[in-house]
Amino acid sequence: MAGKEQGFYQVFEVFSRKAPDAPMQHQFSLLAPNEEIALVMAQENFMRREPVSDLWVVRRDYIRRINEEEKAALKRLDNKDYRLTRGYGDVKKRWRKYEQEAFDEKEILSWKGEIQR
Amino acid sequence: MAAMMTFTRLSDEEKYERFMQRIEAGEKIEADDWMPDEYRTALIKLIAMHAVSEIMGALPEKEWVPKAPSLRRKLGIMAKVQDEMGHGQLLLRVAEDLMAPLGKTREDILEDLLNERLKFHNVFHMAAPTWADAGLIGWLVDGAAIMTQTNMLDASYGPYARALKRICAEEVFHAQHGESIILALAEGTKEQKEMLQEALNRWWEALLMFFGPPTADTTGTSKQDITIKYRIRTKTNEQLRQDFFTKYVPRIWALGLKIPDETMHFDKEKGQWIYRQPDWERFKEIIRNNGPKSQERLELRRTAYKQNAWVREALGAVRTAG
Repeated sequence: MAGKEQGFYQVFEVFSRKAPDAPMQHQFSLLAPNEEIALVMAQENFMRREPVSDLWVVRRDYIRRINEEEKAALKRLDNKDYRLTRGYGDVKKRWRKYEQEAFDEKEILSWKGEIQR
Repeated sequence: MAAMMTFTRLSDEEKYERFMQRIEAGEKIEADDWMPDEYRTALIKLIAMHAVSEIMGALPEKEWVPKAPSLRRKLGIMAKVQDEMGHGQLLLRVAEDLMAPLGKTREDILEDLLNERLKFHNVFHMAAPTWADAGLIGWLVDGAAIMTQTNMLDASYGPYARALKRICAEEVFHAQHGESIILALAEGTKEQKEMLQEALNRWWEALLMFFGPPTADTTGTSKQDITIKYRIRTKTNEQLRQDFFTKYVPRIWALGLKIPDETMHFDKEKGQWIYRQPDWERFKEIIRNNGPKSQERLELRRTAYKQNAWVREALGAVRTAG
């Protein structure tokens, strides 16, 4: 009997989203015989308390993962200042001459609300 | 970079050296990464034992689900039992991925447990005859488990560290659930207070044993050196036991409970707790499944495994048909 059971379980990776505007997050993996049971188990195993607004299960076989060697190639050289606000630190000082403040991330993202006139 | 691209051509010694550099730099090892056999074996033993202990650990508490003193207490302890089984599921997954290259699966872990080749934690071989035992398990047994598990939150093996993060978050609920039961009894009637003291007397030795012997001399083997070498944990068994005393002994005393060890005290000069060693011969007997409830609980697992075989078979059949 044990032999028969060995083959039928599949590894599923579980992803969920806490709120509709939140990113999909990997939770963990589980073992299930099919997608439907995998979804039920995902809820039982990982969603007993946290809020959840969306849930995915994906068979691990379907995921192309990178290996140890490829992972090492992900390391970045620290020479990308021109892609970051860090590379433009001088604007804050330069705006001062015109009696204006630089718009930083905090300022720009605050515009989604009421803008004070 | 060039060195990396030829990773697969490195000798085993060079791979080992690189592996040690990675873990010493605080990097996490993943299931498919190269790892020394000694590391894999130590992790499989540790995590499989942890997994089955969660499953066996649900048994003494589940005995109290039908007998809990109120509906709220029943819901609380049911939630906790479900968490323990959930922790078992997480940890089995972590162990399975490590065992896959050896051609082994979850079935092997469970069969090893049922055939008594795989041990489970000493505390889960003990009886829980009163409601105070149920509370004490939540308070002090889970407290001891929190000590050992938080010590491995930074484990070099990524999947285990991630599982422990989830587990420890739930342990906070377990700790307060246990404290709530204990506080109610400690502030209750004379009988309730006595029941609590008796439960502490029953569990004290098992709690000391929980952290394992101080050195390999006591029981012949000890995994602590290997797990520390590979950065799976940082503290020794004795350090963990001392930490447990520091956090819990003052609270036990504050509730007016007596620790069944008159030598127990904190030596300020040495900076450590002085206590009477448990009977380590008895410990060896207990983890060989000769504890008071070892066989009864294993038999319960065997029966459940057999009786639920049809569910696994039916689910397998659905997949084949689909």
